[in-house]
Amino acid sequence: MSLRRVVITGSGVVSPFGEGVKALMDGIHNNSSAVKYMDGWDQYVGLQSLVAAPVDTIDEKRIPRQKRRSMGRMSIFAALAADEAIADSGISLQAEDLWRMGCVIGSTMGSAKSINDTFETMLPDKDLSRLNSTMFFQCMSHTAAVNTAQYLGLVGTVMAPAAACASALHSIGTAYDLIRLGRQDVVLCGGAEELHPTVTGSFDILFATSTGHNDSPQTTPRPFDRDRDGLVCGEGCGILVLEEYERAVKRGATIYAEVTGFCTTANGIHVSQSNRDSMTVCMKRALAEAGISPERIDYISAHATATVQGDAEEAEAVRELFADNVPISSLKGHIGHTLGASGAIELIASLMMMKNSIIYPTRNLENIADDCSGICHVTEPRSAEISAILKNGFAFGGINAALVCQKV
Amino acid sequence: MTEEEIIEKTNRVFEESFEIEPGRLKADAHIFTDLGLDSLDIVDLVVALQSSFGVKIRTDEKVREIRTLGDVYSFIARVKNGEQD
Repeated sequence: MSLRRVVITGSGVVSPFGEGVKALMDGIHNNSSAVKYMDGWDQYVGLQSLVAAPVDTIDEKRIPRQKRRSMGRMSIFAALAADEAIADSGISLQAEDLWRMGCVIGSTMGSAKSINDTFETMLPDKDLSRLNSTMFFQCMSHTAAVNTAQYLGLVGTVMAPAAACASALHSIGTAYDLIRLGRQDVVLCGGAEELHPTVTGSFDILFATSTGHNDSPQTTPRPFDRDRDGLVCGEGCGILVLEEYERAVKRGATIYAEVTGFCTTANGIHVSQSNRDSMTVCMKRALAEAGISPERIDYISAHATATVQGDAEEAEAVRELFADNVPISSLKGHIGHTLGASGAIELIASLMMMKNSIIYPTRNLENIADDCSGICHVTEPRSAEISAILKNGFAFGGINAALVCQKV
Repeated sequence: MTEEEIIEKTNRVFEESFEIEPGRLKADAHIFTDLGLDSLDIVDLVVALQSSFGVKIRTDEKVREIRTLGDVYSFIARVKNGEQD
């Protein structure tokens, strides 16, 4: 059985820089930071990290009420990003066979605010009668995928891979498989996530958050830096339109890149700590599937969240495969760690870098840490022809994911 | 509770919970065909009315007979003031 080729023909984003791919890229281009002090978070006893990268304003009323009522914050992000991605792709949904069009959007869990609100409503008096009809639809794990598919009327495969911070790459990898195996022709895919003190708290109690910059939010997170002290949570959604190659060519679509390799592995060693050997295997296998050697990669979009242990493991894994030959940067210093959305948002930013022949640096990387050295860090914007991208994503649970995209 | 108070509070529920413009909130408006509510909205209507009026109506069989906004006013009046049909 021959596998079909899969290309990316559209993208949409809601990020801490606002709505749209342009807002994201303007923020990165200007080397801005979307990280800020979060008012009110200091009421949570024991929460040490009081900074985050929130999405400030979104036009949610654009979504009809009866479609919006089952959407928590992350699903609203997803619907708006999907709107942009569909428009960008030039696909007219009215003209499509919607049974051949899927929607695969992952997240760490359901809407964090909705889950919290549900229990805060129900538990004080153990009274279920105050719960409204749509809270469950906001809380369920496939909420972003389901709500986006309902919003757009998609009736093909609807799935929601949940792999914490690797959820978006799992979604894109799944979409890639669905199309190359001939099960779908077009798939909207990506990841969504939303901020909540309890989300930051889940990292905070493990001492994985940045806690030393509450008074200077824009100086953190600091991926690969000597003084990095942990991650900063962000929120948003990235959606890509993946499409079967021949079909995309036939309709004259703009093709950003071809997805040529994907791999996901687990480390089998530790539930929270990253592991360099399993990361290396993951990247190697993604490259092997793409049929290219490490030297052919022109840019690595790192996962690098600025945790002490995670960055060092990723740097070591990259060093083993690429030495200091391939430029690498992390966008977490600009937009924080958008968790289940990060793989998609950062891949879209990487595709824009490919399109515009520029590589943006790791913000807040001022002094390369000894345990992150020996790889080709980008600390200033640089012009570069990019033919192949490697996007890394790693997650709690010992999950690794790597995706290769190449210019067509 | 006066009729005016019931109407005002009920209409506020429809404006805030279902984003319906005040001008459409007429007593003879059918809550499904005119105001666009559906079965999920009825669950939320009950929750919102319970909260607004401090009543327990979730298991009241008469809820199923509501068709118009006027029916909602009458239903609340009956529950709140003990009025009989």
